[in-house]
Amino acid sequence: MEITFWGVRGSYPVPGRDTVRYGGQTSCVEVRTAGGQVLVIDAGTGLRALGQKLAREARGVAGTHHILLSHVHWDHIQGLPFFEPAYVPGTRIHVYALLTAADELQQVIGGITRHEFFPMPLSAVPADFEFHEVEPGAAMTFADARVLPIALNHPFGSVGYRVDADGTSVAYVADTAPFTEVLHKQHFLPGLEPLTDDDRGALEAMQRELVAAVHGCDTVVYDTHFLPEEYARYPHYGHSTPEHALDIVAGNGVRRLILYHHAPSHTDDQMDEIAARYKALGAQRGVDVVTACEGMMLIVGARGVAA
Amino acid sequence: VKLRFWGVRGSFAMCGPDFLRYGGNTTSIEVVSAAGARLLVDLGTGATEYGRQLMAGAFGHGQGRLPVLLSHTHLDHIQGLPFFTPFFIKGNRIRILGADPVGSSLEQTLQNQLAPHYSPLGGLENLAAGVDLEVFVPGGELTVDGFEVTTAAVPHGNMWTTGFRIKADGKQVTILSDVEYPEPDWPTPEAYALAQGADLLVHDAMHDDDAYALARGWGHSPVSAGVHLAEAAGCARLALFHHNPDATDDAIDTLVARARDGSKVPLFAAAEGEYLDI
Repeated sequence: MEITFWGVRGSYPVPGRDTVRYGGQTSCVEVRTAGGQVLVIDAGTGLRALGQKLAREARGVAGTHHILLSHVHWDHIQGLPFFEPAYVPGTRIHVYALLTAADELQQVIGGITRHEFFPMPLSAVPADFEFHEVEPGAAMTFADARVLPIALNHPFGSVGYRVDADGTSVAYVADTAPFTEVLHKQHFLPGLEPLTDDDRGALEAMQRELVAAVHGCDTVVYDTHFLPEEYARYPHYGHSTPEHALDIVAGNGVRRLILYHHAPSHTDDQMDEIAARYKALGAQRGVDVVTACEGMMLIVGARGVAA
Repeated sequence: VKLRFWGVRGSFAMCGPDFLRYGGNTTSIEVVSAAGARLLVDLGTGATEYGRQLMAGAFGHGQGRLPVLLSHTHLDHIQGLPFFTPFFIKGNRIRILGADPVGSSLEQTLQNQLAPHYSPLGGLENLAAGVDLEVFVPGGELTVDGFEVTTAAVPHGNMWTTGFRIKADGKQVTILSDVEYPEPDWPTPEAYALAQGADLLVHDAMHDDDAYALARGWGHSPVSAGVHLAEAAGCARLALFHHNPDATDDAIDTLVARARDGSKVPLFAAAEGEYLDI
């Protein structure tokens, strides 16, 4: 199994000299099994380049694509209208997300191509779209891949995915806040809200289930948007630090942690420092920490499965 | 009067080494008068960097004032709004002046952009600075301190966008950002009127003339449309703008060289970065 990073940035795309090496496009990864099953996870602006690659591979033949969304904030869906295979008649695109109903997902995705925002409405796009609701804990099967959705802590809800195939596994854990200061629900947070006992219970359960879900994973991709000093200022934004990620994966049978969803303000030079700092910290805690950059392809389970 | 391009790219922000000289941010243009009055046209991703720089001054203390003119609400012209940091400081007064999209309203459209599904901001009401929305019907003047601004509707595929003529210090800048005429050498009368006598015409140049045949009707101009209008309307200079996302720095160099051969008006490709004297 391979994982390729097409967009590694959080919030919004960041062009320019300071993002040349790590990349400026927003969340999108491609998971590909040895049997050739492709799963797209998140449809941020990185999806445009992935779509160009998939279209080249298909040579004009209509195919079926599976796009798993963590959630539907702009930085995770903005690439969809620019997904080249969608403009090949006969193409089928299955979109999966955590929503109360697949109808609602159709409304939400249809909403980003309303004429106020984009010239072509979803109904006029040649590909056929099908929308599917995912349920945390309810595994799905795609040819030789098994996919387990995992509930995460982010405004309006978010879901991670563990993919098992080829005798190994990779988990995608974005976007999520840690499971301590705030329980994200479906309303705007100007800052931290006091937690009730129920909130604490819900957070503990969510963390316990995440730890169990990524147990024994070869590679875990994690939302590490913030450095600790940045997190301290914005704990209500719904993102984690590399320390939070290490707390979930260290001692949990995970071989490798990928830092992902980089803050738009982090320049390449800062990212070099972050990469070195957490490579060292990870080594102390028994985890190989790698910082994602756009275009990076990793073999999952290359050196055997840990645990 | 001075002008700075904060974003010059059309449709989609482009990152990486092939987009460094002209820039990959989607559209945003700042105009500054000699007396220091400022306005911004469009809130593409380029506006995020502008917002950060504004925070070093009065906007960082909640005392900033800025008028923002919107050409239209396609995403590449508003996607910087949720990340324009002056909105997060109480006391800043930011006016957004734009037309209602057909069959909708400006307010509803921006609310939809910030709706809880799409953005943790949840709605305009959660921007600490608040937003003063002012809807206009293109075809008249706008009241903007320090500038004379005239608007007109120009054709853009199956809809229209607003073109702007901005005057200050005895100089005139005309911005026609997303436009496609019935024929490249057949500008609509409203576009011609806005462009007439401009010291700088900023014009949609999304397509290479050869590639245009395949993109006809999609709402954007070939390079020759801007050249034709600049010549016909007696503009002093032309800035090619709204670059195609696939146009690398080298491709834009080639496009400019070809366009110069066929133009009586001095022209250049808009690039992120420096303030230009008009």
